[in-house]
Amino acid sequence: MLKDLGRLFLTLGLFAAQNALAAEPIKVGVPIALSPPGAVSQGTQIKDALEVSAKLINDAGGVLGRPIVLIIEDDQGIPEKSRAAVEKLITLDQVVALVGGHQSSVVLAGIEVAHRYHIPYINTNAWADAIRQRNYQEVFNPSPYNSLPAIGLAAAVKALAAKRVVTLVENTDFGIGLGKGIGDQLAQTTVGIDYKYITLDRTAKDFLPALLPLKAAPPDVVIDVMLPPAAYLLINQLYEQGIAPSSKTWLFETATGDYPDFWKNVNDGGNLLVAFGPYHPQMVLSELGRKVAAAYKAKTGFDPNRLLFQASDSLFVLAEAIKNGKSTAPDAVIKALEALRWTGTRGEITFSEEKNDYRYHQWIDMPYVFYQYTAMNQPLADSRVIKDVGRPFDVSRLIRPK
Amino acid sequence: MLILDLLINGLIIGVFYALMAMGLSLIFGILKIVNFAHGEFYMVGAYAYTLAAVMLKVPPWLALPLAFFAGAIVGLVVERLLIRPLYAGYTSWGLKRDEYAVIVTFALSILLINLVDKFVGPYGIRGPPLVGNARVHVGPAIVSGHRLVASLVAIALVAGTMLLVRYSHWGRQIQAVAQNRLGASLAGTDPARVSGIVFALAGGLAAVAGALLANVFNPTPDVGLFPATKAYVIIVLGGMGSIAGAVVASLLLGVLESFGSVYISYEYRDTFGLIILMIVLLIRPQGLLGEHSREV
Repeated sequence: MLKDLGRLFLTLGLFAAQNALAAEPIKVGVPIALSPPGAVSQGTQIKDALEVSAKLINDAGGVLGRPIVLIIEDDQGIPEKSRAAVEKLITLDQVVALVGGHQSSVVLAGIEVAHRYHIPYINTNAWADAIRQRNYQEVFNPSPYNSLPAIGLAAAVKALAAKRVVTLVENTDFGIGLGKGIGDQLAQTTVGIDYKYITLDRTAKDFLPALLPLKAAPPDVVIDVMLPPAAYLLINQLYEQGIAPSSKTWLFETATGDYPDFWKNVNDGGNLLVAFGPYHPQMVLSELGRKVAAAYKAKTGFDPNRLLFQASDSLFVLAEAIKNGKSTAPDAVIKALEALRWTGTRGEITFSEEKNDYRYHQWIDMPYVFYQYTAMNQPLADSRVIKDVGRPFDVSRLIRPK
Repeated sequence: MLILDLLINGLIIGVFYALMAMGLSLIFGILKIVNFAHGEFYMVGAYAYTLAAVMLKVPPWLALPLAFFAGAIVGLVVERLLIRPLYAGYTSWGLKRDEYAVIVTFALSILLINLVDKFVGPYGIRGPPLVGNARVHVGPAIVSGHRLVASLVAIALVAGTMLLVRYSHWGRQIQAVAQNRLGASLAGTDPARVSGIVFALAGGLAAVAGALLANVFNPTPDVGLFPATKAYVIIVLGGMGSIAGAVVASLLLGVLESFGSVYISYEYRDTFGLIILMIVLLIRPQGLLGEHSREV
């Protein structure tokens, strides 16, 4: 009798241990900015999006039967803190990969640590081409890259037949990189354009001294390459001085127009602004994209935005790679990511293996649009698409400011 | 035309600097400490004004005094709970006065930023304008209507505070405590009460600066960092504890930054104040009007 009981307990114990092993979570590190001076609004959107995506994955049975667990570290948008956060996530928490990085200078610091430990790093929203130019095997980019808006903006400037273009860039790898990139693209595709970029401090509040000379000699196009909250202040100050959008000057901006707090921070200055958008409600979403959008709306109350889809794609490509590679070992995950051909939220994602400029491990064919707000407080869905996915910039659809 | 634009903008921003720096200068004059949480008094005012006007639909002109009172109450509470141990019989605790002041105000700054981040959220929100006109023509120059009106309110507040400190009963008590804390108490003035008044006034002034600028520099949890950094430069430049010095230095810094950004380089904008500060400290270590501050 006692012998039988002993066997029963042993069997139950082994069964429980096996289950525990099978359900051992897959830890994924998330180094993002959740407190100042970082771009907290970006970090918060990415956190919400990753949590929504992790829940969708786990509700569907997890990956290889194991749940995804996100371990979030606040790096405050400071490069040295990002290094420390990534080091802690890898060595102490023993995450199998990192996702969520945003703000180029911060990601540039973080990928150095991931590279040293040979841990996959999925870059969610750092645009600087320099990240790709490092050619690190561990870094994959389902995120926009500076050359993408640079090519699009140069085409828009050409279509507008603009002669004088000024770009206002923040003093970061993202800002200065894009400022230079637009200049390079304009030099390659147009003739006789007077182009310059002005570097502004991203922590500054009053940009008027830099803007007032533009009032004296208005350019044809002003391009805002800053992140919120500075981007919002800049748009407001450009408008209050009558510089742009105006009858003489178009105002373009790069990817803050769909932020949940855009219209709470920008009033008249946002009307007739033209924005670059890696997402627009008129884009065709995959079934996954629609599912993610509905879950995000239910969780936060906000309409879907580009950061939701970028963050979601980041986690889903990782999950897919672990599934395909049947392992969480770095080499298996990296190999599976390189071989990946998978439909994400907005289209088929593949990572280029061409080690040339911005191309390495980049999702090159990311869809994007240009759209124009045609009224104040206009929902993104009602804004006018000026350049649709895969189509040229259509000047005839623009409304000229008066 | 450009010169006029730069001058107007420099003076306007200088007036706001002055509003911030006056409170900081008053606190230094009385307690000889630097309040590292002063920027967060500004942030409290910016949020109080914006949330009252946007969420509670309080008219902006009524939200302004609300912001002042919010800042004053925070100032008073901070003085009672955190600053009073500096001078109210806690010496037996073995407090190191300067270290205590630095650590406690610095920690308060971090605490307030994170509290707002947690409870109000990280997203910025623009305060409503005080007037409807987004653009006002001042001769050939265009100025934001709100900036213009807000700067007039700020000038009135700066002038009012200077008159209050110079001529009112409370002001004389502040001057007395600033000159000699022990002497003032022997003459019947309660230094603890005066310190409370000064913290409330400083908090209120910083908060109303935040409120006036909430339409220009949209409130975010760390919005106080920028004006506070300027205010620290200004009070040293003007002379520690000198209110008139703070006002002169504020206007000087505003105009200098405005012109320097265009005629030298925008990228070095924040260094202009520091360069002037170094020059002034080399030639006149007590600051521009520092001696006057010792006399009040």
